[in-house]
Amino acid sequence: MKIGIPRALLYYQYYPMWKHFFEELGAEVVVSPHTTRVILSSGISRVVADTCLPAKAYMGHVMSLVGKCDCVFIPAIRSLKAKVFNCSKFLGLPDMTRAVVPECPPILSIDVDMNKGEKELWREIDRLGRHFTRNHSKVRQAAMSAWQKHLEYCRLMVEEGLTPPQALERMFGLEAEPEGKGASKEKALPTADASGQAHIAVIGHPYILYDHHVSHRLINWLQQHNIRVHTPEMLAAEAIDSGIGRLVGQSYWTYEYEVVGAGGHYLEHDVDGVIGLVAFGCGPDSLMMDMVRRHSALPGAAAFMNLTLEEHTAEAGIVTRLEAFVDMVRRKKRRKETCA
Amino acid sequence: MRIGMPHMGNLHITLKTLFERLGVDYVIPPSNSQRTLSLGAKYSPEGLCIPFKLTLGNLIECAAMGADTLLMPGGNGICRLGYYAKVQQQVLREIGYNAEIVELGVSERKLIGFMQMIKRLSNDASWYRLITSFRFALAKLHALDAIERSVQKVRPAEQVKGAAQELYTSAIEAIDGANDYASLKKIKKSYLAQLDAVPRQSRANPLKVRVIGEFYVVLEPFSNLDVEVELGKLGVEVRRTTFISEWTKFSLFLNPLGINEKERYQRAAMPYLKHDVGGEGWESVGEKVLHAGEDYDGIIHLAPFTCMPEIVAQNIMPTTQEDIPVLTILCDEQMGKAGMLTRLEAFVDLLERRRRARLACNNVRRAYGSLLRD
Repeated sequence: MKIGIPRALLYYQYYPMWKHFFEELGAEVVVSPHTTRVILSSGISRVVADTCLPAKAYMGHVMSLVGKCDCVFIPAIRSLKAKVFNCSKFLGLPDMTRAVVPECPPILSIDVDMNKGEKELWREIDRLGRHFTRNHSKVRQAAMSAWQKHLEYCRLMVEEGLTPPQALERMFGLEAEPEGKGASKEKALPTADASGQAHIAVIGHPYILYDHHVSHRLINWLQQHNIRVHTPEMLAAEAIDSGIGRLVGQSYWTYEYEVVGAGGHYLEHDVDGVIGLVAFGCGPDSLMMDMVRRHSALPGAAAFMNLTLEEHTAEAGIVTRLEAFVDMVRRKKRRKETCA
Repeated sequence: MRIGMPHMGNLHITLKTLFERLGVDYVIPPSNSQRTLSLGAKYSPEGLCIPFKLTLGNLIECAAMGADTLLMPGGNGICRLGYYAKVQQQVLREIGYNAEIVELGVSERKLIGFMQMIKRLSNDASWYRLITSFRFALAKLHALDAIERSVQKVRPAEQVKGAAQELYTSAIEAIDGANDYASLKKIKKSYLAQLDAVPRQSRANPLKVRVIGEFYVVLEPFSNLDVEVELGKLGVEVRRTTFISEWTKFSLFLNPLGINEKERYQRAAMPYLKHDVGGEGWESVGEKVLHAGEDYDGIIHLAPFTCMPEIVAQNIMPTTQEDIPVLTILCDEQMGKAGMLTRLEAFVDLLERRRRARLACNNVRRAYGSLLRD
């Protein structure tokens, strides 16, 4: 059986785990291609206008999988921790996809809700595994080793400071992506003077940060301009928890750590500037990024810039703002160093 | 201590009664206006929905009137609502008010917790006083909603446009002034009778439309630009499920007993949406499915712009097999009345044509049915 996984939304967080799980159970995994203008606009044509950009891209990815696989894996992740909730669009993702992409192959889904306890999660995993085998222990084994794979993936990012695409490349070797328009081939310049190098953290959801079409290759741009880029995935759990504690006390959203947690940490440690990437219409982010922005106004916090992305955002506009921000961060850093 | 709370429909009348009887100093913010909205929008993050902006405007106005304890619905839902109080508290602090926001947990659905909070706010009033005041406040709420239901029926048929609305306004005032059960009952009875006596047009069968959607924008006429009144002017009868009295009845009293009013809608939505997506998203889909099979001509779906649950619902609703025309109206601070009216007029035209076509079709079937069968 061929299982399609759309290269959007949760792909960036859980792909190694999913791939491993399905392959252990004897299925083949197909990933949709990188986001292109065609994929995005086909997604946009299906959903109502005020759906957020990542969800539009997701529908495009599902449509690009039609005919290439026997079923598509679309999980409904309700909650990863008791009393911590997820955005409605993640909860309704399988149903929404079925409604707007009627030609979609059968949908394999799993309902993850930690409010109901771990036992219920295992039952869900069993239900998902039953599509492949009747053997419960085999499903369990596959799930356990998939979890190990996930931990390995996280370790690569935290300990070696890799971004998710780099970590995926390291793990599977074939993630190198075709270069998009306007992006020069050159890799990050070798750091001539590592001491004077500016450090900038880019915070936001992985599906915005690492989708090169959506983010206009923002991270590559920064790296090419001799900036050390930090991302939320590189932080250990403790740093993130203390960041959340400082800003909002207790997390409310499932993916709060990558915005509020990372923002809370980076505004006070490690970096000279923080860039918050938000997709227009993102419900949770409209509040979370605002919390980070408010915190950035406190004395002593790193410089902060909020960039909102949508399908009309042009690369030139982003680059102009980035240039200004980077100049400002560098000048600030220089002045601080001369003062010291 | 001075208490304030944002507006939502006629809720302030109930609260005023409750707090007056408990001897708590309660301020009612000026009713929602462009000023409230601009004030709220000015200090809100841009991507937030109109309920946030309006309630923030109300809270700021309350604080300006000297309120130091502000009640704000909140709690752990899946929608952004649970986060509002936190952000609003920060905004208030930043613009220099020391008022403290107390979150009213609406999703926990516990009468006891709610009562305990009122008790705390009312400087530890006795339980007897608390319960009697609460009961009377609820009675007012029910009276208000009963009159509103009747107004909804009279509006489309009245001969002089605006007569029902005028009666409704004065009824609200009269109920606000009522001091005991007897006078409340009398007021309710007299206004219901007056509404019944409003001269009506002979056209017997107005179009019937169901208003569904997000709780706040359905209940707060300012946020939906008085969509019900405008529909009434166009000669359309409006019905809706969402009333504050219904909400209190179920979430405070019946839900703990295991009676769930929404189950009907949730079960209807099941084939299309299997999970609760927060807010009223699930119920919106379910209501569409159910009302398509009832004698409604159309559905008006109200949702705040960027409302996450309603976006999911909006994406799913057009694909259900049960077919009924749905007009989704997104409410935000950019909305203009003329634009909405144009859309309503077009929608009503469509419904009328549809109804005529259906009648004609039925007539043909009745006249030639026997022939067709042979």
